[in-house]
Amino acid sequence: MTRLLQFAAGLAFAAALTLPAIVRASEPDDVIEYRKNIMKTLGAQAAALNATLQGKAPAESFTLHAQVLAIAASEALIAFTPKVEGGDSKPEVWAKWDDFSKKMKEFAANTADLAKTAEAGGAAAAQPKMQGALTCKGCHDTYRQPLKK
Amino acid sequence: MTSFVKIVGGFAIVAVIAASAVPFVARADDKDAIDYRENIMKSLDAQTADLGMIVSTQIPDDNLVAHTKALAILAKQAQKSFESKIPGGDAKPELWANYADFQKRMDDFVAKTADMAASAEKGGMPVVMEKMVPALTCKGCHDLYRVKK
Ligand code: HEC
Ligand code: HEC
Repeated sequence: MTRLLQFAAGLAFAAALTLPAIVRASEPDDVIEYRKNIMKTLGAQAAALNATLQGKAPAESFTLHAQVLAIAASEALIAFTPKVEGGDSKPEVWAKWDDFSKKMKEFAANTADLAKTAEAGGAAAAQPKMQGALTCKGCHDTYRQPLKK
Repeated sequence: MTSFVKIVGGFAIVAVIAASAVPFVARADDKDAIDYRENIMKSLDAQTADLGMIVSTQIPDDNLVAHTKALAILAKQAQKSFESKIPGGDAKPELWANYADFQKRMDDFVAKTADMAASAEKGGMPVVMEKMVPALTCKGCHDLYRVKK
């Protein structure tokens, strides 16, 4: 009985420890790693989406990739809002924040539309919207450091 | 009559070949199929890492539901990506030898990540903390079916 009580008290203590901690500020390195993981998801999913169009992967998975691209774009929109400098983000991200966040919002909206179109009409219906939705390069050219070789 | 039967038989064979070619990766060479499923696994890795950072309160929980949704769709992608049964990559031979067991694990992974995503929307962080470990059966499958690095 004492053991059970101890255990229960331990659980309550653990819960008390973790819950309020949510409001503490994140470490800069964590914020950078976090947004990089979202970009990595976008990179892998964009490659997979293309593979479904090239007959290199199940064609019916097109929609599943479009859906994850839309979700990851919505994640990216939030991931940059702590405005933590560093990683491969150019200083321009923060200097021209209004333009950067406008591009992110459009990216999230256009990939959401791409996913919806794919859900309704499959790859054939969604394909014409791909270029307009996957604005990766346009943003990277302005806001990401050139890749180190 | 015999030649008619032969022709009909020939058509049947052509139809069978066509039917097996149309749904998916018949045109993919092995490297394409392996790259494809590894891209899906990389996406799972990135989304799991980010969910982990949220659950451990390193990052605020705004994207909590988004990560669980992404994981549920990625699990579906992973399930389909092995159906071409192309050996190689870091997939162990046991995967193809025990394919029924592998499939069962994938089905289970799909069902549990879908359940986590559905519950996350209603129950938030406490529910995700409870469902995360049983849903993310990555290690259990890797120990059996993925070559150790
Ligand atoms: C509105 C701007 C924007 C859009 C749109 C965008 N990205 Fe990025 N991306 C960035 C920035 C900024 C970085 C650098 C992040 C950092 O390291 O701080 C980045 C980094 C990356 C990285 C490197 C991640 C790593 O391992 O460090 C990849 C891969 C990537 N993006 C892929 C994509 C793909 C694919 C798309 C489109 C489907 C996309 N991005 C859309 C701004 C964007
Ligand atoms: C039912 C089995 C199964 C499940 C569940 C599973 N994986 Fe995998 N995973 C594999 C196999 C098999 C490979 C090797 C694929 C290949 O190289 O052909 C792999 C490879 C990987 C890789 C290496 C990819 C690369 O770059 O080559 C990563 C990372 C990974 N998995 C992460 C995860 C994560 C994270 C989860 C859980 C959220 C997960 N996996 C769930 C079977 C599984």
